[in-house]
Amino acid sequence: MDGEIEIAQKLVDESIRRGFDEAAIVVTSSRRVMVKIANSEPTVIQRWMPIVIELYLTKDRRIFVGSYEPKSIDELLRSIDKIYTVALKVAESHFYAPLPDSMTVRYIDGLVDNRILKAMDEIDVLSERIIEVAHREKIDSVAGMLQLTYMKTALATSKGTQLSESKTALQGYIRAFVEPGGSGQWCFTSTKYDINSLEEMASIAARYAVDSRNRVDIEPGVYDIIFSPMVFGNLLDYIVDMASAFSVLMGLSIFMKSGIGGKVASEKLTIVDEPRNYELPNASSFDYEGLETYNKPIIEDGVLKTLLHNTKTAKIMNTKSTANAGWIRPSPWNIVVKPGDTKLDDIISEVRRGLLITNNWYTRLQNYVEGLFSTIARDAIFYIENGRIIKPVNKVRVADSFLNILNNTEYIGRELYNIQWWEVSTPSKIPYVLVRNVKVSKHII
Amino acid sequence: MYEDIALYALKVAEEFNVSYAEVRYHRIDGFGIVSRNGLIIASGYEVSDGIGIRVLVDGALGFSSTNTLDRESIRKAVEDAYRLAKAHSRLMKKPIKFAPAKVGRASYSVIEQKSFDSIDIEQKIALHRELWNSASKSIVDAKVEVFTLSYNESIEEKLILNTDGAYVKSRIPRLSVFYNVVVSHPQKGSIQRFEQFGGSGGFEQIKQWNLEDIIVNETKTLEKILLTAVEPPKEEIPVIVGSEIVALIVHESCGHPSEADRILGREAAQAGKSFIKPNMIGERIGNQYATVIDDPTIPNSYGFYLYDDEGVAARSRYLYREGVINEFLHNRWTAQIFNVDSNAAARAMYYGSEPIVRMANTYLKPGDYSFDELLEDIRLGVYIKSYMEWNIDDERWSQRYVGLEAHLIENGEATKFVRNPVLELTTRAFYSLIDAVGKDLRFYAGTCGKGEPMQGVPVWFGGPDVRLSKIRLGVI
Repeated sequence: MDGEIEIAQKLVDESIRRGFDEAAIVVTSSRRVMVKIANSEPTVIQRWMPIVIELYLTKDRRIFVGSYEPKSIDELLRSIDKIYTVALKVAESHFYAPLPDSMTVRYIDGLVDNRILKAMDEIDVLSERIIEVAHREKIDSVAGMLQLTYMKTALATSKGTQLSESKTALQGYIRAFVEPGGSGQWCFTSTKYDINSLEEMASIAARYAVDSRNRVDIEPGVYDIIFSPMVFGNLLDYIVDMASAFSVLMGLSIFMKSGIGGKVASEKLTIVDEPRNYELPNASSFDYEGLETYNKPIIEDGVLKTLLHNTKTAKIMNTKSTANAGWIRPSPWNIVVKPGDTKLDDIISEVRRGLLITNNWYTRLQNYVEGLFSTIARDAIFYIENGRIIKPVNKVRVADSFLNILNNTEYIGRELYNIQWWEVSTPSKIPYVLVRNVKVSKHII
Repeated sequence: MYEDIALYALKVAEEFNVSYAEVRYHRIDGFGIVSRNGLIIASGYEVSDGIGIRVLVDGALGFSSTNTLDRESIRKAVEDAYRLAKAHSRLMKKPIKFAPAKVGRASYSVIEQKSFDSIDIEQKIALHRELWNSASKSIVDAKVEVFTLSYNESIEEKLILNTDGAYVKSRIPRLSVFYNVVVSHPQKGSIQRFEQFGGSGGFEQIKQWNLEDIIVNETKTLEKILLTAVEPPKEEIPVIVGSEIVALIVHESCGHPSEADRILGREAAQAGKSFIKPNMIGERIGNQYATVIDDPTIPNSYGFYLYDDEGVAARSRYLYREGVINEFLHNRWTAQIFNVDSNAAARAMYYGSEPIVRMANTYLKPGDYSFDELLEDIRLGVYIKSYMEWNIDDERWSQRYVGLEAHLIENGEATKFVRNPVLELTTRAFYSLIDAVGKDLRFYAGTCGKGEPMQGVPVWFGGPDVRLSKIRLGVI
């Protein structure tokens, strides 16, 4: 047994000895270094080495969770004692379900890339290179972020589960600026030390910046819109989160009104939760309840195939866990859109009057159940007419409903991009997509 | 004990060739209860506890943190911050410097009237049941489909030390309650409201917030909107923007663009830049009613502090004064560039966060109109009281707010409910169209996000009701 598992098991044993019915403990130790860039120079270099202990305890169907950073085992045991003093005063949880029995888990190969560990000590070389690559285009400046991570997670439960897994991650994004008015942004994420893709990220951002100078205004209205992987990734971040059964139960989902098996999207669209995609940083062989993860379509050919469950939400909805725990809240691991067979240029050629939106931020909803939202495009936006890009345009807002976006998706790009940044929290592989008849608004005064 | 280790960290940093070092011991003890339809889902504790160290080395800034508080780990953390900053110093085109500052040597606490520990957990549990019972029974024609409630209490303790002599110890308890209610009807669909309450202090705030009355009234209102609301007028009309929305507008379109680090481009790849450029102090952005203040020292506020995380004493900041851009929010880095004193806007979310420029409690200065006086001259208009959807562009210029509770104004009186009116306008338009300001200043709690990694910090935003002379509303 390694150190993290030993600590987790000891805490499980002590929790049971103190009178709790069940216990699950996750010990996470990580190392992370990040360079933040602005005006083409580093603004701060940050480094973290936290050890975090998360616990899940039940007593007579009451549920307690905790996240601690104790300085000793004894300190944490005192916290567990404190929980026990209030345990029976808390009402029973209507979410309660027993922890699952221990199972054999097949581990995903290749989640640790030693080159990332090595690069942590020379991240200045990487920062310099990314800034330099972006400046190969005639831009004024770049901003962005570069991060390297090593993380080890160990889980022990009172059902006999003992699992641990390590992984690495390389994540970054770059935003390039050039006057008059041009800007472009792109990102990359992987478990691998992939310098070529990082360089491509910087190049795409810089190229979009150069191409989007001298923007003009367009009128609000209804347009066919090509969403870049950055934008579609942001929208799917919200939509797939709504496929968590917890979101459905908490009144935060467009899928409250959809039955499994119902049509919720264009038949062209298949969206998969892929915990076992070894390339994406949220890859995990097991969930917080100790179940082996598996890849699963959430939406397949436009049909809602499953919500994401842990054992609790599964019990409430009379189904099986999809191994997406979260003790309380099941969540997606990694999001992958099944690629289509169309090149970006061919998608553009299908647009008579429309826009290519390359980035967005600040997506907010008027109503999660109805899926009414708006989001603001930023960076390069291009007006398309009769199958050709005509001119770069100023910021607009997409103001529509998620169900319209899903149902009006007509073309799916054949190339997938690894997307994760400030506005896309779940690592994703996303193509360019064409959505017909999208409402666009902007300020009127 | 933590004081000794923080002092040790500063001593280690001073051994290196740093031009500045800062050590922050930072602990947050949190406890929360979440329920759905009055039934408890789970209770949870969350403790973050560690030390963050920032060093300035040859013009580069390094930050390191650890929650292992033995001497060896602390020394390693300091060494890492130094080494990473040193390695990057060769890439600095404009070496970072901090402005001189009078730093504090002080200790302060917010004292609860009712400490969280003095209240039995059963009382906190009962709150969930009682509020659900009241909300669910308050309507007949429609139905409360989901009512979720999140109760969160926390105690934040800090000790800030730096090589300029700062020694600031603080303790701030905070309480917040967040609810989400979904009201639905078989033919009319659904409508939804989020609302958060928050402040510094103890459990006594629960009574002050008057949650039951507010939630019952909100639920009844949602039912009426769902069943009876009409479209807003299509012509240009006077609009009364309710206090809740004014509060958000000043946070988004004055507070954020006035952050000096954003103006200098430090957040350019994340939340973006600012329409305010470095040379725009003194430029007009609105009329005489546009005075926006950010003040961390408001008692019981959610964004309360007396010293910032660089050890500088807090004070109120007049960001816009009578329509003119007046002052930016500064930390010691931006203060150096603008050749001013820091106005104590540096805040960090937890020990693992670098202090960055943040708002605290931002509000529009109230005027002298009663609500009835705001209404009385309007023949046809709309009063937008609350919102759900909003956003603003990454330079803080073009913004959109979608009303949730909104009323038609006819002949000086608020009448029918209006469905989903959209206020979509620029920052200059908002601050220029105000022609009357209410006298009743109200504050709202929120968590403001900024930085990389994202830091969410507690803030209040506030304002009175204001009247916009004439604008065309959209609808979704």
